[in-house]
Amino acid sequence: MRTVNRRLRFTTAAPMIFCSALALLTPTPATAVEWLDGKVQMHGFAGQGATYTDHNQVFGTSRDVSLDFREMGLTASVKPLPNLLISAQGLYRDTGASDTQGTRLDFAQADYSVPLLDSSLVLGVRGGRVKIPFGLYNDTRDVLWTRPSVLLPQSIYFDTLALRQAMIAADGGVLYGRYTHGEHRFGWEFLAAEPQDSTGGATAFLTGIPANHPLIPKAEGSLGGRPLLLGRTFYEWMGGRGKLMFSIVDLDRDFRSTSAFYQNGNTKVTYPLFSAQYNAEKWSLTAEYGWIASDRAGYQPFLQNLPTWKSNTSENFYVQGEYRFTQDFSAVLRYDVLHLNRDDRDGRELSRLTGGAVPAHRFYARDLTAGVRWSFARNFLWAADYHYVNGTAWLNETDNPNLASPQTSSHFSLVTTMLSFRF
Amino acid sequence: MQQSSYWRFVRRAMISRFAAKSWPRGPRIGFRLQKVLILAVGIALASLTAQADDAKVRLLDSSNGVKHLTTEMVREIFFMRLSSWPDGSPIHVFVLPDNHPLHIRFAKEILGVYPFQLRSAWDRLVFSGTGVSPTIVETEEEMRMRIESTPGSIGYTDKK
Repeated sequence: MRTVNRRLRFTTAAPMIFCSALALLTPTPATAVEWLDGKVQMHGFAGQGATYTDHNQVFGTSRDVSLDFREMGLTASVKPLPNLLISAQGLYRDTGASDTQGTRLDFAQADYSVPLLDSSLVLGVRGGRVKIPFGLYNDTRDVLWTRPSVLLPQSIYFDTLALRQAMIAADGGVLYGRYTHGEHRFGWEFLAAEPQDSTGGATAFLTGIPANHPLIPKAEGSLGGRPLLLGRTFYEWMGGRGKLMFSIVDLDRDFRSTSAFYQNGNTKVTYPLFSAQYNAEKWSLTAEYGWIASDRAGYQPFLQNLPTWKSNTSENFYVQGEYRFTQDFSAVLRYDVLHLNRDDRDGRELSRLTGGAVPAHRFYARDLTAGVRWSFARNFLWAADYHYVNGTAWLNETDNPNLASPQTSSHFSLVTTMLSFRF
Repeated sequence: MQQSSYWRFVRRAMISRFAAKSWPRGPRIGFRLQKVLILAVGIALASLTAQADDAKVRLLDSSNGVKHLTTEMVREIFFMRLSSWPDGSPIHVFVLPDNHPLHIRFAKEILGVYPFQLRSAWDRLVFSGTGVSPTIVETEEEMRMRIESTPGSIGYTDKK
């Protein structure tokens, strides 16, 4: 009891400590804090959000306007040699039941690169706790400043689903290269790392065994086995006017059960993602398309009857347009689609397999989003989105314990806004 | 009249300077002794560059004295993806704030990109720990002074 209290106190105190640190560390609000000709740099950000939904809950009790949406980070980097960069970021994040980790070490890594062929080719290696380089937004997704909207497209960048914990950062190494030739730029990254799949609800997500189901016992044990493998490659044209990217993650994890109810099991996940972006002066067009193929074996024979449990392929995509009215004010429009099973896009077949126990709207989510971003002062950004969502596939089950009930609304509106400061 | 159009000409090009060691003998002595001389060299270089090709920036390196940096190399430098000069010494990049008219022109005319692309790239580097951001200076005057006092630095200006 005592420890719990102390923990709670720390989580509430952390943001305050952080804000004071920010205020102390920022002599002028203009730029990063840097020393030794920029060889040591410090950056930071702090954002507070608010979320409202008319039905269902997102990031806490959003039907009554939830303020459980905070992200704060402090980043430090040191360059002891011109091509050696050591950097670390501490992150505090809170998004209702979907993120209860509080303060964490987001990354801590060393990066060494070598320029070759008149600097047109750069080869490098990075190791430590590294950000997972996946798609257009994953690397810096917890910083409002690098997102096109308050919420990223949930079909691809899960923020409410527990898998997110395993998608953010991992402990391992990256080999990378970049090559520039005229107006063409190519790059590739290859990562092998131990994923953080025992944090948050990632274990429940990967084993496919619900963490808080009234009838199904919770899985107890740990995931191990082969490290996560990931590759990402891109092509950029005219300094980023056009951009094509392909990323792929491959997971093959063994579950070692510590409870008598479940046997050991194995989960394989492959997640390819295609990304494309065009940037003009006033507007940008972005699209990403991918699918998650999963395959589970072992655990408990009865689990095979759960829809999408044994072997499944999803479909995840969005198209997005951004328009910059001025340099400080822009708008975004997006259509984002998640089909948990690409062979049953409206979920009817899967729902029928459960005898109607799981409604069809749990198997898809189509989200039409309109948002604005306004950088009203140099280091401040305000953003707000309106989402009209059909389907509950990406809603968090802890925030929404009754998603399977017939009273649950399959359609809902979501308004989310965030004010962020950075230096 | 001729004078002002000359300056406008210079304005279109980027003036850059490197570590004292990367300068050939003549200009290096000039730099150490006379600010005026170095500015003249800078202007001459800038106008030469502008005459040769608007998109190309002429720079110096330690081995040959003069080194042509292609547009894409300059891009790599200002996108903060190259951290050392060919001789291994560190690159230090100075820029003006995102909204500064000269920064906008520099991004468009010299790099061929839009300022939001630079900002987005820098933020991604910084908050994923894979790079650092350039040093932001408030005025062109400050930029000039900082470049003069920082070995291996690069920036831009439209003043003498």
